[in-house]
Amino acid sequence: MASMMQPQIILLKEGTDTSQGKPQLISNINACMAVADVVRTTLGPRGMDKLIHDEKGNTTISNDGATIMKLLDIIHPAAKILVDIAKSQDSEVGDGTTTVVLLAGEFLKEAKPFIEDGVHSQNLIRSYRTASHLAIEKVKELAVSIEGKSLEEKKNLLAKCAATTLSSKLIGGEKEFFASMVVDAVLAIGNDDRLNMIGMKKVPGGNMRDSFLVNGVAFKKTFSYAGFEQQPKKFENPKILLLNIELELKSEKENAEIRLSDPLQYQSIVDAEWNIIYDKLDKCVKSGAKVVLSRLAIGDLATQYFADRDIFCAGRVTEEDLQRVAAASGGTVQTTVNNIIDEVLGTCELFEESQVGNERFNIFSGCPSGRTATIVLRGGADQFIEEAERSLHDAIMIVRRALKNSTVVAGGGAIDMEISRYLRQHARTIAGKSQLFINSYAKALEVIPRQLCDNAGFDATDVLNKLRQKHALPSGEGAPYGVDINTGGIADSFANFVWEPAVVKINAINAATEAACLVLSVDETIKNPKSESAQGEAAAGAMGGRGRGGAAFRGRGRGMRSWA
Amino acid sequence: MALAFDEFGRPFIILKEQEQMTRLRGLDAQKANISAGKAVARILRTSLGPKGMDKMLQSPDGDVTITNDGATILEQMDVDNQIAKLMVELSRSQDYEIGDGTTGVVVMAGALLEQAEKLLERGIHPIRIAEGYEMASRIAFEHLENVAHKYEFDATNIEPLVQTCMTTLSSKIVNRCKRSLAEIAVKAVLAVADLERKDVNLDLIKVEGKVGGKLEDTELIYGIVVDKDMSHPQMPKQIEDAKIAILTCPFEPPKPKTKHKVDIDTVEKFQTLRQQEQKYFDDMVQQCKDVGATLVICQWGFDDEANHLLMHRNLPAVRWVGGVELELIAIATGGRIVPRFQELTPEKLGKAGLVREKAFGTTKDRMIYIEHCANSKAVTIFIRGGNKMILEETKRSLHDALCVARNLIRNNSIVYGGGSAEISCSIAVEAAADKYPGVEQYAIRAFADALDAIPMALAENSGLQPIETLSAVKAQQIKENNHYCGIDCNDIGTNDMREQDVFETLIGKQQQIMLATQVVKMILKIDDVISSSDY
Repeated sequence: MASMMQPQIILLKEGTDTSQGKPQLISNINACMAVADVVRTTLGPRGMDKLIHDEKGNTTISNDGATIMKLLDIIHPAAKILVDIAKSQDSEVGDGTTTVVLLAGEFLKEAKPFIEDGVHSQNLIRSYRTASHLAIEKVKELAVSIEGKSLEEKKNLLAKCAATTLSSKLIGGEKEFFASMVVDAVLAIGNDDRLNMIGMKKVPGGNMRDSFLVNGVAFKKTFSYAGFEQQPKKFENPKILLLNIELELKSEKENAEIRLSDPLQYQSIVDAEWNIIYDKLDKCVKSGAKVVLSRLAIGDLATQYFADRDIFCAGRVTEEDLQRVAAASGGTVQTTVNNIIDEVLGTCELFEESQVGNERFNIFSGCPSGRTATIVLRGGADQFIEEAERSLHDAIMIVRRALKNSTVVAGGGAIDMEISRYLRQHARTIAGKSQLFINSYAKALEVIPRQLCDNAGFDATDVLNKLRQKHALPSGEGAPYGVDINTGGIADSFANFVWEPAVVKINAINAATEAACLVLSVDETIKNPKSESAQGEAAAGAMGGRGRGGAAFRGRGRGMRSWA
Repeated sequence: MALAFDEFGRPFIILKEQEQMTRLRGLDAQKANISAGKAVARILRTSLGPKGMDKMLQSPDGDVTITNDGATILEQMDVDNQIAKLMVELSRSQDYEIGDGTTGVVVMAGALLEQAEKLLERGIHPIRIAEGYEMASRIAFEHLENVAHKYEFDATNIEPLVQTCMTTLSSKIVNRCKRSLAEIAVKAVLAVADLERKDVNLDLIKVEGKVGGKLEDTELIYGIVVDKDMSHPQMPKQIEDAKIAILTCPFEPPKPKTKHKVDIDTVEKFQTLRQQEQKYFDDMVQQCKDVGATLVICQWGFDDEANHLLMHRNLPAVRWVGGVELELIAIATGGRIVPRFQELTPEKLGKAGLVREKAFGTTKDRMIYIEHCANSKAVTIFIRGGNKMILEETKRSLHDALCVARNLIRNNSIVYGGGSAEISCSIAVEAAADKYPGVEQYAIRAFADALDAIPMALAENSGLQPIETLSAVKAQQIKENNHYCGIDCNDIGTNDMREQDVFETLIGKQQQIMLATQVVKMILKIDDVISSSDY
């Protein structure tokens, strides 16, 4: 401790908190585990929801790992990594966000005793990486391809995947209903990569079963002017004109000014303005379009003009909706009304305005290119619909993934158990410390079935032992066995159609391992005091000590003292 | 927020402003949520049924509302608790979708939560309860379809519709003249309904009210009532076979939208300008006259000069009529809205058999009635009542009645009211429960008990012995295998709702059950409430 006697060399700005060494590592692990604990209970079909209420008064009820992590507003630097992997899982595959956080937390938990015992974290990291490679290889090996099946069969299989995702959500009670809806929607947009071609409209009221899929576009009635009700509200095979201009009587140029010296010319100016707008309207009518949509306003004059000529119009259609209509109807959005040729007009089999709940909806169905779909969601409360939207988003992502990669694995913890068994077996062939680490990695994977049981109120140990026995059967016939959520026993997940796309698992294992390795490889946190004001004090204290004299000092530096 | 501690007992700061967060977990969270939901339901419970009581609500700025419409009560209560807000939304979504039964749905949800609480105490997993409820709700849903009746009606035979609307209105303050109001509502809906498409656009029914007179004076006008008067007091008050010019341009010289400026540098120019302006006025009136208009309805105002001119030329006019009303007038009279005078043609004029200005009582209030229109696709219900609160409540009640009539046009199945449908569902669910193995059986049975809450509340509100009455009716239903026995709220002497003519729409009832189950499921599924402690 001679170093304590020496005058302190100040390298960093006063108040900067640096934490170092093993305690720092442990502290980070603990933080991550605390975060994983928050989402723990949301896993699986018997998972619970979280109600999160932010300071602005917004309420979210969700079961989606990524959403919860996002809303928790985590500031702990290490724990933030978990938020990021949840997000990346969400954007990459859309589902399995809870799984990934849970796995990462569990990997770290298993690593903790080793770190405490003085194992160098790089050793752990190396073994974890190897284990994850092996695990992913195994997933790929076990995955069953759905390629080459007929469309009908494929649809069925995809619906199974979607149903598995949805079963853990609030709308789980209607999972078959929604699963087939999602599959139809995804198949409708085909190979198009643009996810925004699937529109989701939320209308409060009604029950879930009143939700419906429009094979085309639907959007809420826009703001309308007097005369709108006199327009026809139903067309068969109408031509659709899409515009991005204002159809309103207004000054053509903001900064123009007219000076008249002869009062007699006054009328001519007025007429000129009217002529401009009438000319535009006339061109719209001449194009033969029966439905005119514009992203910008369609004024009262135009509304009445169209009403007189039996044309339906809607102004201030949102950009997204207009794009969808364009894609669905095969039309192109015009920025001028000059020279409208038939090719730029879209069409659909049926256009209708109809009542959905308390709103009136414009529905375009039977579109020729059929590359869009709109899901109109109904439900009893706003939060309910919000959550349903998130759930369907997950399901849509899953189906798209499954469609692209076409391999599925058994869910319900079956695949996790199987990898775990495989890794344990593999570990025995390794000489050296690595054997222990891979074993602990294998143990961490068991958290998925264990949590599934815990959440459902079953005896996890009991079920897990049964599963281990099944998976250990030498014939390998036990591989698809997972937790049976209904009886509290075990069942063949594959035969019960609890399926998930292989890519979800692969990505989850990858991301969780990466995150765990990242956390393990950090041994120092330097925190600039300015980035956080009052909080910084408390956070600094909590972050663990500052080891001025290096790792040997066990981190009891200034940070620790200031806190105590 | 539950804090995490590291090896040295120091807390982690994981979340932003962690100290200010509160967190409720597990069973505690569920219990707290359930009691919040129950509290809301308890408030509404006494408003259920024909003998239900009203609530008086005072808004922060002193406005008083008296109502027994569930959705309105909850809306005005301005609840703060999150779960209570869910109940409010539940009621609102019933209102949006069905328009009626907003109280019943909340009472039902409250009862389900109450039953769930008991099951939770027994240690049943909340999701199992929710799943049981879900199964039970499906049984009830199907059972309702079995006991439902198709009710045939057409434009001439409106009696069934009127009867159903009367059931809705009977629980309201206006039940004294429910018969006439129900007729008004049905006629109004039929007037605007598209029977082929089974679509009713309620926007075409305008509900106007004016304080004064009796509730009985409420009338249905096949046409439009505008809360405006003639622009000049000396204009004729009554016009027969009116030809109406509907204008969206003001009676004044047109102004270009582009910034403009008229340079006047000589006296002559000024005079020409002046003359031109006068000529404009003259032309405008002349153009209206030329096409044969006998009444001008204008979205904008016109100044005294134009007013005088119109008066002089004997052309009655109404000014400052809102866009929505203008549209309704156009639809009703078959006219077209004309944006400028040059475009006026005889074909664009609307036609109405009678336009009159009517004054009320001793007040100076006047309204313009446009009746006997060419096209009666737009109608107005004009409500009279002693005070503003009655008026507002009548409007809400009529809204409910209109919705019921609309629902019947969409789907003409009905179930019998007075709690008979609930009792019958309760029996069916109870019987079905035994077929389910597993924990769900308990939840299904609890659902059956919860269904009893509605007839129970009905009986209680009617001053009957709730348990006695309910059990008697239930026994009667089973014994006679008669699904139509309900609570005799009005003390008529029979339990058979067919004789009492108490109906509700099938979709309304089904919706109640589904929605209540959905929300309860959502509440049960929450096991973790994280909030800033300000709340």
